Amino acid sequence: MTDQIAIHAEKLTKHYGDVRALVDLDLDVRAGEIFGFLGPNGAGKTTTIRTMLDEIRPTSGKASILGLDSHDAAVEIRRHIGYVPGDLALYPNLTGRDTLTYFANLRGGVDWGYVEELTERLEADLSKKVGDLSSGNRQKVGLIQAFMNRPQVLIMDEPSSGLDPLMQRAFQTLMREVAADGTTVFLSSHTLSEVQRVADRVGIIRRGKLIALEAVASLRSKAIRTVNLYFDGPVEASVLEPLPGVRDVKVQDHHAMLSFDGQMETLLKVVTERFHVLDISTEAADLEEIFLTYYRDDEVVV
Amino acid sequence: MLASVFAKTTRDRWKGMAIAMFSLGLLLWMVMAVYQDIDISVYSDLPEVFLSIMGIPEGADVASLAVGVLYGFYGALTLAGLAVSMGSSSVAGEERDGTIGLLLGNPKSRTNVLVSKAASMLLLVGLGALALWGAAPLIAGILDVRMGGMQVGPYALHLFVNALFYGFLAMAIGAWTGKRGLASGVSAGVMALGFVAVGIFPIIEGWENVAKVFPWYYFDNGQPVINGIQWGDLAVLMGAIVVLAAIALVGVNRRDLRSHNVGVTLLDRLRGSPLTQKIVDRLAGATRVSRISIKTASEHQGLLIVSAYIMFFLMGVLMGPLYGLMDQTLLDFTKQIPEELWAFVGAAGGDMSTAEGFYEAETFGLMAPIAVIVVTAVIGARALAGEEQNRTMGLLLANPIKRSRVVVEKALAMVVYAIAVGFSTFLGVWLGSVLGGLGINVGNIAATSLLATLVGLVFGTLALALSAATGRVRVAIFGTVGAALVFHLVNSFASLNDSLAGWARVSPFSYYLNTHPLQNGMDWGNGAILAGLTVVLVALSVVMFQRRDLRQTG
Repeated sequence: MTDQIAIHAEKLTKHYGDVRALVDLDLDVRAGEIFGFLGPNGAGKTTTIRTMLDEIRPTSGKASILGLDSHDAAVEIRRHIGYVPGDLALYPNLTGRDTLTYFANLRGGVDWGYVEELTERLEADLSKKVGDLSSGNRQKVGLIQAFMNRPQVLIMDEPSSGLDPLMQRAFQTLMREVAADGTTVFLSSHTLSEVQRVADRVGIIRRGKLIALEAVASLRSKAIRTVNLYFDGPVEASVLEPLPGVRDVKVQDHHAMLSFDGQMETLLKVVTERFHVLDISTEAADLEEIFLTYYRDDEVVV
Repeated sequence: MLASVFAKTTRDRWKGMAIAMFSLGLLLWMVMAVYQDIDISVYSDLPEVFLSIMGIPEGADVASLAVGVLYGFYGALTLAGLAVSMGSSSVAGEERDGTIGLLLGNPKSRTNVLVSKAASMLLLVGLGALALWGAAPLIAGILDVRMGGMQVGPYALHLFVNALFYGFLAMAIGAWTGKRGLASGVSAGVMALGFVAVGIFPIIEGWENVAKVFPWYYFDNGQPVINGIQWGDLAVLMGAIVVLAAIALVGVNRRDLRSHNVGVTLLDRLRGSPLTQKIVDRLAGATRVSRISIKTASEHQGLLIVSAYIMFFLMGVLMGPLYGLMDQTLLDFTKQIPEELWAFVGAAGGDMSTAEGFYEAETFGLMAPIAVIVVTAVIGARALAGEEQNRTMGLLLANPIKRSRVVVEKALAMVVYAIAVGFSTFLGVWLGSVLGGLGINVGNIAATSLLATLVGLVFGTLALALSAATGRVRVAIFGTVGAALVFHLVNSFASLNDSLAGWARVSPFSYYLNTHPLQNGMDWGNGAILAGLTVVLVALSVVMFQRRDLRQTG
């Protein structure tokens, strides 16, 4: 990963009549990073991608990819990107191979050795007509076409849709490999475990607004964790509840379980000053909990 | 409105029917207004044989003539066309859209779905026929013209049953094959061929009864507009409808439903055969996807083959020998009828005493432009809007190509196909002329075929422009068909009224046959105007497509 900016959005806004699909989106994705773009249905993820790709035009603001304006230099940008649209649709009457040949022709040719390698790794069947393939196998064809020109930027909207868990793993490995080689990956996904596994940073969008933009590790460190405390004697919940960052305290005999989103050092200091702690365990919050927290809160976080 | 399959189908379709009937009402108003200023006694006093040839009933007046001409051709084709669209979409359309599985996931049988769709078609086509029935006296009343000599009610009933026949034909084919395109194409073909055959066979000595093979014969064979309801003819059509409905029911219940829109083309079949696999693999594989234009062309090969076959063989080669079999005395009569009179009944041409006039009336008058328009309008409408509807446009434009290139390559496929249909027409007519010993000038055949190609391209590129501007296939197709009907009518009737004569030049059709190229040779001025219009519409398509947001779904 470098400090160069691969994808840049500035006050990007898109309205459909009265519907504000995207509102003043500011975003920088660094070259070589895997960026997870999260949000519930209708939050504006696909609108953001379609605007960046010049499928639709922003109401105001602008976006650029690899320093090129998304509208003025749309064709030049497309030389350097790979794209998997959400709800992928391909030409049902073409075989997988014909489909890839078509897109390869439109790109002026690709390395077919690499296509074969991708086909093997994803266990894709390119001999059948796309319309006769299952959705997962169709998705593999879509993934190969996105990777086959060794793009500098990969933009993918729900790319693992329909893939079985083994294929999801293979796809994640592929993503990490290309990112390690310098490809920027913009990954819009609902599969939070996948984003957590591969992404360096995530952006969370809600009702068209970006409400969080942080490294996954940083988000997790700040997020609510479940803390289990074991004492040498009984403890009252009322003692723990006033402590800063503590909520949802449940006490059973010598054991207290609580949710905590403050500094661990502070918690430990206060608890050990008052009680004799026999054991402590914490469960790190996963992205799903973080995601849900953002969506439960009404206030914008950033 | 979504309480049942019947209600949803009706909701999805009523607007199209309402717009079509409203448009026909406006056209009827226009035709009646044109006729109003003409002294029709000149025509109604003509010998009976003239009137019979032209389908003018004795004692007809202005309003009746307008109704007869407009409903007999434009009304009948429009109503039947809408029925075909509904019939072909009934089950095959749900399969194409991938919604049939979801629909049948509910406690509804296939029979139930088909019957609901059929009931909706019956209702809407019935309402359409009622609207046509009501529009005639209403417009006559507004314009204060007397209406007599024709029976509009019985005519509307014949229109209704005739349209239902083609609707159920399309439904039966769709129910058996699951292929919407095949269902609508075959039904429209049967309709168009019947329309032509019913005009030709009755004037061939000894072949009169051949016309009875064509369903269109039973629509107005007994001239219901004059003689009232022809129960015998209606019984034939209704019997056929019952049979077709039964065939549809059997068909939809016995086969596997299609979950995806995968068609098998001729090239695919050849690709699967060991004998032809090697060469066709290249043709249907690598070559087929080498360019956007070639891929676009490959998607419509079936349509091209059918259209080219009809124009080459049926409307070209076969017509030459047929002309020799016709009753020459009757044909000679047509020479004496002034051209304005043919325009008066909306005919594309009239003087059939010469082979050139015959071919101009039968092959070039309607069928040639229809064949080119069908091919080009389908390509034009599906070119951009079809890719958006199928959600493949986003992926296509993720490649390093300009939107303008997509439009131009799609237009190129359309031009190549239009030329192919035009060339098939040329070859067919030339061969027909040789076989029939008619001696039509080859250069003139080429000129007329070229003009037919160009006038078809104008409407094909109009479909492209509508497709580019809206991203909606239906708007592009119905908009183009509507425009073609209106412009055809304007060209036919505006010249009848001095104050409206100038308006005929607005119609692209006025640059096609008005100078009789089959007899007089190429009119390069007209050719240039049609070619210029085509180029302008392609340029407009580029601008429209570049300016707007892509649609995410159909």
